[in-house]
Amino acid sequence: MKMRKLLASTVLATSLALGAVTTASAWSLEEAAKPYAGTTVDVVFLLRPGYEAIEAMLPEFEAATGIKINIIKHPYENALGEQVRDFVAGGDLDIALIDLVWIGNFAENEWIEPMDKFTSNPDLADPDLDMDDFFPLVLNAFGGWNDVVYGLPFDNYSGLLFYNKCLLEEAGFDGPPATWEELKDTYGPALTKDGKYAYALQSKRNETQSADSFARVIWPFGGSFLDADFKSNLMSAESQAGLKFRQDLMQYMPDGIVAYDHAETVNAFSQGDVAMITEWSAFYSTVVSPDTSKVADCVAIAPEPSGPAGRKPALGGFSLAVASQADEDEQAAAYLFIQWATSKANAGEYLERGGVPARQSAYTDPALAETYKFIPALVESWQDGVPEFRPRFAEWPEITEIVQEWGTKIMLGEVTTEEGAQELGSRMEAVLDEAGYYSGEKPLAQ
Amino acid sequence: MAANAAARRSMVWQIVLLALIMLVCVFPFYWMVTTSLKTQIVALESPPVWLFEPTLNNYREALFEDGVLRTLINSLIIAICTTALALCLGVPAAFALARFEFRGKKDLWFWFITNRMVSPIVLALPFFLIARNLGMLDMHITLVLIYLTFNLPIVIWICTDQFRSIPYDLDEAARLEGASQLTILAKICLPLAMPGVAVSAIFSFIFSWNELMFGLILTRTAAKTAPAMAVSFMEGYNLPYGKIMATSTLIVIPVLIFALLASKQLVRGLTMGAVK
Amino acid sequence: MRGKVSRKTIFGFLGPSVIALALIGIAPLLYALWTSLHFFNLTKLKKVKFVGFENYTSVLTDEVFWQAMGRTFFLLGVSLPLQLGLGLGIALILHKPGLTLLKTLARLSLVLPMATTYAVVGLLGQVMFNQKFGVINQFLSPFGGGNINWIGDSTNAFAMIVFWDVWQWTPFVALVLLAGLTTVPGEIEEAARLETKRWWTVLRYVQLPFLMPGLVAVLILRTADTLKLFDMVFTLTRGGPGSSTEFISLMIQRVGFRGFDQGLASAQAIILLIITIILAQIYIRVFYREV
Repeated sequence: MKMRKLLASTVLATSLALGAVTTASAWSLEEAAKPYAGTTVDVVFLLRPGYEAIEAMLPEFEAATGIKINIIKHPYENALGEQVRDFVAGGDLDIALIDLVWIGNFAENEWIEPMDKFTSNPDLADPDLDMDDFFPLVLNAFGGWNDVVYGLPFDNYSGLLFYNKCLLEEAGFDGPPATWEELKDTYGPALTKDGKYAYALQSKRNETQSADSFARVIWPFGGSFLDADFKSNLMSAESQAGLKFRQDLMQYMPDGIVAYDHAETVNAFSQGDVAMITEWSAFYSTVVSPDTSKVADCVAIAPEPSGPAGRKPALGGFSLAVASQADEDEQAAAYLFIQWATSKANAGEYLERGGVPARQSAYTDPALAETYKFIPALVESWQDGVPEFRPRFAEWPEITEIVQEWGTKIMLGEVTTEEGAQELGSRMEAVLDEAGYYSGEKPLAQ
Repeated sequence: MAANAAARRSMVWQIVLLALIMLVCVFPFYWMVTTSLKTQIVALESPPVWLFEPTLNNYREALFEDGVLRTLINSLIIAICTTALALCLGVPAAFALARFEFRGKKDLWFWFITNRMVSPIVLALPFFLIARNLGMLDMHITLVLIYLTFNLPIVIWICTDQFRSIPYDLDEAARLEGASQLTILAKICLPLAMPGVAVSAIFSFIFSWNELMFGLILTRTAAKTAPAMAVSFMEGYNLPYGKIMATSTLIVIPVLIFALLASKQLVRGLTMGAVK
Repeated sequence: MRGKVSRKTIFGFLGPSVIALALIGIAPLLYALWTSLHFFNLTKLKKVKFVGFENYTSVLTDEVFWQAMGRTFFLLGVSLPLQLGLGLGIALILHKPGLTLLKTLARLSLVLPMATTYAVVGLLGQVMFNQKFGVINQFLSPFGGGNINWIGDSTNAFAMIVFWDVWQWTPFVALVLLAGLTTVPGEIEEAARLETKRWWTVLRYVQLPFLMPGLVAVLILRTADTLKLFDMVFTLTRGGPGSSTEFISLMIQRVGFRGFDQGLASAQAIILLIITIILAQIYIRVFYREV
């Protein structure tokens, strides 16, 4: 099932790329943008490194095209609400910034245009677009929904294990843990002492709880949110094993871990208070920069540990898609920007400025792995993964609220893992029932 | 002698307690301002440092790069407009409630006041949908109007109280000469009621300036208010504490000045005239 | 007879206000009532449909809703007595004769917390109560409390909210009560003080009656404001950790603008409104005979 989807999107991407190659001759961004000079494109950006990288590169694009990119900055926590309110009100946004879990929602509401509309237009499509060059998993998960590509992967993350090799060596370990059990049973007790902790798992009650904490423990143990019939799978032995593992692991984490968001977790690691964290690739620059990190020289990176069900690293990231509410000119200009920002040609500079491109070609140079120590682990993580790490259907925004609420309650010990999972499951099923998955009204796609 | 010593002791205690009260009230502002002058690295020192080299960088960045200046201007425009509108509507209504006799007056007054009690979230949900249908999202006028839901009751409550304190005898003569109620209000009562009107204006301004939830939900960029802006720095990836505190300082300074100016009337305003 | 004026005049004076408040205060409520009877999700506007009282039954049977409501009243129950006790103490000190300059300064500094933007109070709380670089823990460290996790622990986070609520509103209570104390006629107070040295007796039998109107106002306004409490908590804890500081207004905001279920949120809002009106009725009709 997973393979088929992957294959389908690859075939689709290939045909698009081929189509573009045969028709375009002497394409240039300047020429393509000529009719749209003076157009303003509105887009929501987050306050994160990948966005700052593109912002720094933007003058080049604006000078070449005459298109003005109007960036509206929001913290992640507000970005979904802002965009939903803009789209339902028929507002000004011309580009949708889509976290992979929003794509079902945006696509079903027809707030975004399929990429095909633009990639098939030889006046707009860069012959060097090369959709195949995107990691297929990433393109499919971040930008695709029901075998249609809507967005191009822009701000891309994989979960990685950042570890402090100095602390690990001191404790007699010559490498990172390979499995979650090892992390808990061997590394945990050895590294938790003198006010320092072996591990921190960001678990704040927002998307961090769902994506970074809850999902991260259920998948490697063979659990999942939903079973094949879209009923809750959280009471399964595997899911429960994952949730119980998390409870158990908390003894090696700092107190109050349920209030840790990314900033607190990365900070604890950078201060040398925590030996290992599983965080997004995007934090690489923060933990290795001496300005923000006391342990810059000790940072080492590995793929996330594996569980009984294998390695299931967290997958997250954003694509950019053209908004349906924009007029024709704005749509074309928006597409040109998206194509430029995610292009093969710019991937190198984007990487250099702190972004993480999803282009396979950007990582082929072995010398890069020396400078950017996260690259091998990242590339390995993107070879295979679970696109539905968090279900990407339209109901996710409602379901994530439930996961956040009951996930933190479980961690705080206010309910047991069984009670919490039971409650979470029945609330989740109520949402899915309302949506029409059980009556056959809606296909079971996540 | 003994009595004297006791009095002195009581005096010392009073001074200590008064100093403590002032310290507790003022210290958070001191901390806010000093944090706003710290670089991110200094702000994250543990334990926090008290002496450091101050920088105005946070203010410069916040005001000119992140657009806090524009949101402050938006807040100012909105607060002034809504205050003016609340006075235009509320002063005559207050006069009527104070001076006229009619059936249902009590219920009407009660209804005005209940508006002050209603949680803004109750109105925010439908107001968003209505503004969306009317294409009025992200416009100054929308906030000006919705802020009337709490400003108008304040103006009415404070001014009613003020008009009631003006003796009838003063305008008796004018009434006998056949002056209209509007003339009596404008020429005789309003000048006398100016203190109350001014207090209600200050309150209306402070409450509008401080409002967050409507600003957060009903605006996006063009009409974004300063409190909504301050909140938007809170990204889970990296919290720029210095910049957040600089923005906070910029927001708080004007209301503190207003509040100090109106400090004598503040209690009366906040209790809506229940306490003179 | 005084105050008799024509209908036209009454309407001319009151009409604009009534119409304005009806349009912006009542029309939205009617719309909310309509929404609350529908399945109405912002991200599923194609599927809006009438569901009768389904939203209401799910709110009324949802323990999470009632927990948030209970938590809200618990906050009121904890912080209001603190504000009254501390406020009364401050008012009594300020009411004593002598030390005029110092007392004027103290009164002025009491004004500051009340006027502070509520959202800023929450942001300040984040900075001051941070476990690592917060100044509060620095103050507490000589007493062995230097490593308290304020934001990440359910009980501590609640205590922190209480602290800021008390910080912001004790001055209000103090100034209200001080205003009440100054209405006690000087002769009566002096006569009482000649008879007894116990301040408690003077307070209970002489001053208390004069404090009553202020106390009632405090009770009404603090109740209403606690039900409205949103900004400070939103910027400080966003309701966390877990649900430990999720008060009723935060919960409704979350359902309506984060889960996008406007139908359900509207039903919650209407129920909150009904509770507010009942409380306001009781308070105002019983205590507040002003007009």
